Amino acid sequence: MNRLIGLACAGMLAASGAFAAGTTLNVGMGSADAGKLDPHVATSTPDKGLLHWMFNGLVRIKPGEASPEFIEPDIAESWTASEDGLTWVFTLRQDVDCHGDYGGIDAADVVYSLNRSANPEQSSFAKDFEAFESVEATGEYEVTIKLKNPVPSLLGMLVPYHGGNIVCQDAVEALGEEYQRTPIGTGPFMFAEYQPQQYVKLVANPEYYRGEPKIKEIFYRYIPSDASRDLAFQSGEIDMIYGKQDQTWSERISKLPGTKVTVMKPGEMSVLHLNMTMPPLDDVRVRKAFAHAINRDAMVQFKGPDVTLAAISPVPEGNMGYTDQVPTYEYSIDKAKALLAEAGYPDGVTIKAIHTTLPGMLSTMEAVQSMLRDAGINMEIETVEHATFHEQIRKDMSQVVHYAAARFPVADVYLSQFFHSDATVNTPTAVANFSHCAVADDDIAGARVATDPVKQAEMWASAQAKIMEEVCAVPVVQSLQLWAWNDRLDLGAEVNGSLNLSPPVTEKAFFKD
Amino acid sequence: MTAFVLKRLGFAVITLFAVLTIVFFIVRILPGDPAMAILGDQASQEALIALRQRLGLDQPLILQYFDFLRGVMVGDWGVSLVSGRPVIQEIGKVLPATLELTLASLVLGAVVGIPLGVWSAVKRNKLPDYITRMASLLGLSFPAFVSAVLLLLVFAIHLRWFPVISSGQGSTLGERLQNLALPAINLGLIMAAYITRVTRSAMLEVLNQDYVRTAHAKGLAFATIIRRHCMRNAMIPVVTVVGLYLGILIGNSVLTEIVFNRPGLGKLIIGALNQRDYTMLQGMMVIYTLIVVLVNLLTDLTYGLIDPRIKY
Repeated sequence: MNRLIGLACAGMLAASGAFAAGTTLNVGMGSADAGKLDPHVATSTPDKGLLHWMFNGLVRIKPGEASPEFIEPDIAESWTASEDGLTWVFTLRQDVDCHGDYGGIDAADVVYSLNRSANPEQSSFAKDFEAFESVEATGEYEVTIKLKNPVPSLLGMLVPYHGGNIVCQDAVEALGEEYQRTPIGTGPFMFAEYQPQQYVKLVANPEYYRGEPKIKEIFYRYIPSDASRDLAFQSGEIDMIYGKQDQTWSERISKLPGTKVTVMKPGEMSVLHLNMTMPPLDDVRVRKAFAHAINRDAMVQFKGPDVTLAAISPVPEGNMGYTDQVPTYEYSIDKAKALLAEAGYPDGVTIKAIHTTLPGMLSTMEAVQSMLRDAGINMEIETVEHATFHEQIRKDMSQVVHYAAARFPVADVYLSQFFHSDATVNTPTAVANFSHCAVADDDIAGARVATDPVKQAEMWASAQAKIMEEVCAVPVVQSLQLWAWNDRLDLGAEVNGSLNLSPPVTEKAFFKD
Repeated sequence: MTAFVLKRLGFAVITLFAVLTIVFFIVRILPGDPAMAILGDQASQEALIALRQRLGLDQPLILQYFDFLRGVMVGDWGVSLVSGRPVIQEIGKVLPATLELTLASLVLGAVVGIPLGVWSAVKRNKLPDYITRMASLLGLSFPAFVSAVLLLLVFAIHLRWFPVISSGQGSTLGERLQNLALPAINLGLIMAAYITRVTRSAMLEVLNQDYVRTAHAKGLAFATIIRRHCMRNAMIPVVTVVGLYLGILIGNSVLTEIVFNRPGLGKLIIGALNQRDYTMLQGMMVIYTLIVVLVNLLTDLTYGLIDPRIKY
C-alpha cells in the first residue's frame, strides 16, 4: 500500500515539473517575495540578484569577477576619455535589442537611462550620479558623458549594478508604473511571469547579441525559510541555492552529492563604529582600548575561516584604493586595561549598543561583547527588530553601531558613506557616518576628484590611516557570499565574485549530460 | 433571524472601524521607516525625505487617516509602499491559498479530532483514553515549525512522496492535493488535538446525563445513543472552540506557509511588517477582521442548527 501511495505521489511530482529539466534552472532565494523589479530602484539582494541576469550596462565586470579591474565592454564596444577625465565618449554596439517588441538600443536609450539613474524621483542611486554634468547623444550610436569633476571610477558607475543598467526608453514610457513589475532589459534572460510569493520566471532571450542562452527557463523561487530552501535543494527541486554566510552551512551543504559550493566576493564587512561624541568613547584612549580588546583571529575562527576574512582597514580588502598600511591594534587585554586606566576608568566602562535581532549579525556582536568583557568594557546590547535598528542608529541613539555592508568596490564609496562628515547621522546630508568621524574629510574629498591615480591612491591610503589612528571604527571581519549549485550546472565561467550578489547565469550556462 | 444577522453585521462594521483605527495608528507609531525599506541603507537623507513626501508620509497623521478611511470606503486600499502593486490585488492573489489551507486543516482536524474525542470519552480511564490524551497533549505542545520540518524530512526527502515547495497551485486536482497535503496535515493535527480534548470533556459531561442512562435502560443500541443523544448535545462547545480556533488557525498558518513555502496571508504579513509596508498591513488587517467577524457570526448561527431550542 505504502509503495502504491509513494508511486502515485512520485508520479504526480514528476508530472508537476517540480524537478528540473535539462534546460530549466530553478533557483532558491532567501526572500519571501519580489520587491520592485525596476533596476534603477531595486536595492535588495534578491531583486538585484534577479535583475543581474536581465540587464546590461555600457560596460560590465567580467562574469565571475567582482573587481573593477575586470571591466570589459558590454553595450559600448569602445570608449575614449579626455585627459582631464571630464569627457567620455562611448561608441555603442548596433546589434543590441530590447526584450519583446521594443526595438533596438541606440544612443537615445542610453541617454534616457543615465538621466533616469540621476533623477532622485526615479532612482535610488541618484546621489551616485551627482557628478554628471550632461549625457548627450552625439550620434545614433555614440554617447558623450560630461562630468562636473573627475570621479574615482566612471566606468564602475556604468556597469549594470547600481543605476548603470540600460533600460529601453520605449518600454519604460509605454509601461509606466507597470515597468517595476514587468522589467524590460537587453540581457540574456527576459521577464516572463510573476507568481506572488512563489517565483519570477525568466525565459531565454533568443535575440541576445552574445548568442541565445542554452538555459531556456529560470524559475527564481522565493523561499524565505533557510531549512526549507536547503531541503528543496537536497530533494532536487532547486538547482542553485542562496546560502547562509555561515561555514557550518557550507560544510553541511557541500556533503550533498553532486553539489558545488562557491564563496564569492565582495564580502560584507562587519565594522564597529564608535560614536566619538559620546563619553566615554569621546576619549581616543577608550576607543584604542576597545580596538585592543577585539581578537580578529578568534572572530575569523568563530565565523569560519573558509567564508570569512579578517578586516584590517576601514575599506574592504580588494577594493580599489585599499591599503593595509594602517595603524593596527593587536589583541592585548593588558594594553586595553592600561589604556582604560590611563583614561580614568581603572574599573572599566559601560557602553550601550543598539543592535538588530538578525541572527548572523547578533552572533558577531555577542562574541565581541564577550571579548570586551575580558578587558573591563561592559557593552550592554539592546536588541531591536531590524527596521527599528536602522531607524534608531540613524537617530544617533547607539554608542556602538555594528554595521555589515557590501558596497561597490572602490575606496571612495566606503570612505564617503561611513567616514566623511557630510554623511554624519542625524544631519540633513546623512548617510551612515555613525562615529561622527571627520578626521579624513580632505583626503576623501581630494581623492574623489583626483586625476592622478597615484595621488588618488595616496590620499585614500592617508584617509584610511587617519581613520584607524583616531579609531573612528574597528573593522572586524569580511563575510563572503555563499551560493551552492548542482554540479551538473556549468556557468561557463570560473566564479570568484559577483557584484550583484548572484552567480553569473549568462548565455554560456548549461546543464551537463 | 434576519434581524439578528443584520444586528451582528452592524456590530461588525463598528468592530472593523475600531480595528482599522487602532491598526492605522499602531503601525505608524512603530519605529522603522518605509522609505528606507524602499531605497535601501545607502539612501541619503535627502532622498529619504523626497520619497516620504512622494508617499504622503510627511502629511499630518490625521490627514493620512481620513484619506485612508475614505479609500477603504470606496474600495481603494492603495498600493503597497514597497512593491508598488495594488494592495487588494496582492491580497486577492494569495487569500485563496490561505483559505484553502485553513479549511483543509479544519476538515482534517474535525474528521480526526471528533471521533478520537468521542472514543476517548467512551473509554474513559482505559488504555485508548490514555493514548488519545497523550497524543493530543503532544499535538498541542509540539511547535508547528518543528513538526513542519519533520514532515518534510520524512515525506519529501526520505520517502519523496511530496514536494518540499508546496506552490499552492497545480493544473490538476491531484497536483493541488499533493501541494496541500503536508501543510494541511501539519496544521490539521494541531487542530485535531484541540478538538479531541474539547470533544472528550463535552462527551464526558453528556454521558453522565439522566437521558443517556434512560436511553441505555430503553435498550437502544450503543452507537445510536452516542450518535443521536450524546454527540448532538456535546457539539455546542466543540463548535465554539472550532469557531474561535479558526481565527487562530489563520494566524498560525504564518509559520506553516513559510516552512512549506506556500503563498498566503502569513508570508504577506511578515514581509509587510519587516518592511513597514503600512498600506499592505492595513489591507491585511481589514481582511483578518472580516474573517474573524464572519466566522463568529457563522458559529452563532450554527448553534441554532445543532440545538433547535436556540432561536434568534
